[in-house]
Amino acid sequence: MTDASNTTTVNTDATKIMGGTGEPIIEVRGMDKFFGDFQALTNIDMVVGKQEVVVVIGPSGSGKSTLIRCINRLERHDRGTIIVDGIELSDDVRNIQEIRRETGMVFQSFNLFPHLTVLENITLAPRNVRGVPKAQAEAHAMELLERVKIPQQANKYPGQMSGGQQQRVAIARTLAMRPKVVLFDEPTSALDPEMVKEVLDTMKDLALEGMTMICVTHEMGFAREVGDRVVFMADGMIVEVGSPEHFFTTPQEERTKLFLSQIL
Amino acid sequence: MTNEISLLSTGEDPMSVPEAPRSSQKLSPGAWLKVNLFNSVTNSIITVVVGLIAAYVTWQAVAWVISKDFTIIRDTLRIFMIGQFPDDELWRLWVSGAILVIAIGLAAGALARNSYELAESQGLEPESSSVLDLVRRFWAIIAILLLFASFARTAQPKIGIVAVIILVFVVRQLAWSAPVAIRSRAVYISALLVVGSTLVVAGTSRLGGACVGIVVFAWALNESGRRDVAAMRGGRFVSWLLPLVVAAIVAAIVAAIGFDGYGWDDWGGIHVNLFTAVVGITLGMPFGILLALGRQSKLPVVRTASVLYIEFVRGVPLISLLLFSKLLLPLFLPIDMERPAALTLAIVVIMGFSAAYVAEIVRGGLQAVPKGQTEAAQALGLSPGAMQRMIVLPQALRAVIPAMVGQFIALFKDTTLLTTVAVLEFLDAATIANNQPQFLGKGLAPVTYLFVAVGFWAFSFTMSKESRRLEQRLGVGTR
Repeated sequence: MTDASNTTTVNTDATKIMGGTGEPIIEVRGMDKFFGDFQALTNIDMVVGKQEVVVVIGPSGSGKSTLIRCINRLERHDRGTIIVDGIELSDDVRNIQEIRRETGMVFQSFNLFPHLTVLENITLAPRNVRGVPKAQAEAHAMELLERVKIPQQANKYPGQMSGGQQQRVAIARTLAMRPKVVLFDEPTSALDPEMVKEVLDTMKDLALEGMTMICVTHEMGFAREVGDRVVFMADGMIVEVGSPEHFFTTPQEERTKLFLSQIL
Repeated sequence: MTNEISLLSTGEDPMSVPEAPRSSQKLSPGAWLKVNLFNSVTNSIITVVVGLIAAYVTWQAVAWVISKDFTIIRDTLRIFMIGQFPDDELWRLWVSGAILVIAIGLAAGALARNSYELAESQGLEPESSSVLDLVRRFWAIIAILLLFASFARTAQPKIGIVAVIILVFVVRQLAWSAPVAIRSRAVYISALLVVGSTLVVAGTSRLGGACVGIVVFAWALNESGRRDVAAMRGGRFVSWLLPLVVAAIVAAIVAAIGFDGYGWDDWGGIHVNLFTAVVGITLGMPFGILLALGRQSKLPVVRTASVLYIEFVRGVPLISLLLFSKLLLPLFLPIDMERPAALTLAIVVIMGFSAAYVAEIVRGGLQAVPKGQTEAAQALGLSPGAMQRMIVLPQALRAVIPAMVGQFIALFKDTTLLTTVAVLEFLDAATIANNQPQFLGKGLAPVTYLFVAVGFWAFSFTMSKESRRLEQRLGVGTR
């Protein structure tokens, strides 16, 4: 306890960028979210810098997923402001579409389109949203498949692949839109243990290449190794924020200590 | 004896039950009987009893059929097939049939080859589709057509029917080995042929021009999409306006030819049942899909209108709608307006009727598409329209193929109700045949109804078999 109070570097201010270029790309200010009468998020303030990797952890039901789903408007926030790449998220459909084009999302259950081949899954959005010609979109898709190390699966259907391969295709599909930010919503939670590593490796490569990422995950090893910042949430609030090192070694809040003692 | 059997059954039951389906092919006939029909005392008794009943019923049925004289079918075959279509115009039906068969063969061959190659590229075992397989799949329809031919008194229909069957196989084999450039466009070519085939027998070249225009527009849109012109400079013009211009020119040319079909006042026989069912469901499908989407719309007016329409149509019998169109609708039309033909009204009613049912089927399919699919599409930035068209509908429609075929079969059989609005359809033809002076009061109704039943059965049975096959095949690639 005395140890922790001496370490002042642990920061509870989620608006202080701690990695990447230091320039903000996502700003969330005073955001509240309700599901009916239930308040899912309370007064969230968070800023993410360009090229920063932010890892959001916390017990289930703490609002982690809801937070990142608000950023690309899969959920509508009720109060506060969200600014992505200079565009404020409002009810204006054009703003929403523009933000979605710049933010990719990787889901827990992959959500690949089962009626399309891997190649079609990846080229669909670039061709239809960005108007990229077919040949060019396919060349880019093959590059991305190379990057996630499954180029030989291009003509298969998602149902013919393992979970880990599907999730890597999902990541390639997201990258095909050349997003500025990628949101990961528990990307490894639905995978068999032996497939977790291949997906985490892909995410690690992505982080090293300088992609801005917000990852909701239970993979503490990943958070420690790759994250620039760890955000700990509980009961719809941001409880503690810090660099992984300080967060895992010298947490300050009781709630954080309790959580860490339960999982480590 | 009983001891032996009980020993045998207790010893073998746990093994033989799960094993039976897998090993049944390799078993000798005797062993197969033992495993599947006589593997326990109860099963043996059931086998014997059911077998005896089946044999008795079959014997009686066969004896009855053999004892009957089918002269009535021979003499009135034409009414069963085409009603009172005039002799002079008969060539239209043959030409139309030939074109239709070419369209079917072309589409079937090209699509089968495409999916064969797809399966091959996936490393899956492609489904074999030799002529023998096709005969196995469509034996009921081939048999019924040959039965029709065998009843014909003159040589011409016999030769015609056999020629049509051979033609469909020949075209299919040609399409199978056609170059990719043709195969990938086969659907559009077939659609144009179908329009042409219909135009030969019915409609005006103006109406035909409009239909041709729609198909050409879709085709040209696809062609421009193929070459990715949308991304070029002036792409908007090339990708949208050019197809529209091409389609308009083609439509105008067709309309100007002035080749009009024969009206459909004299249509009749099984020809009418097949035609109205196919046209009803083809036109009803897009309408039904729109209604299903409308029912889910966020706009209250659209939603309410869709719900009202669907619930009203589903709440009344088809026969009442048909009678309404025949008896009441003319009262609401302006006095000097020409009364539409009975068949026109009937097709409109059947289309509207099937649309409501298709809408409910599609709604089920839409609900079966997981929420994650729409979320993924939204997260990628797809517009709501693109999301429905490319992600939701393809999956929803695939899921409802069996229900949709079921609806089509029901509709095909419901076309017998056309008799209430004075259209001489297949079942009605039986009544007419029995009312011919030479057959009146001879008690030949069962013979004619048997003929009609077998005719309906052959088509319905083949359709439901094909839908099961389609379902299985689509399942392979998706799961």
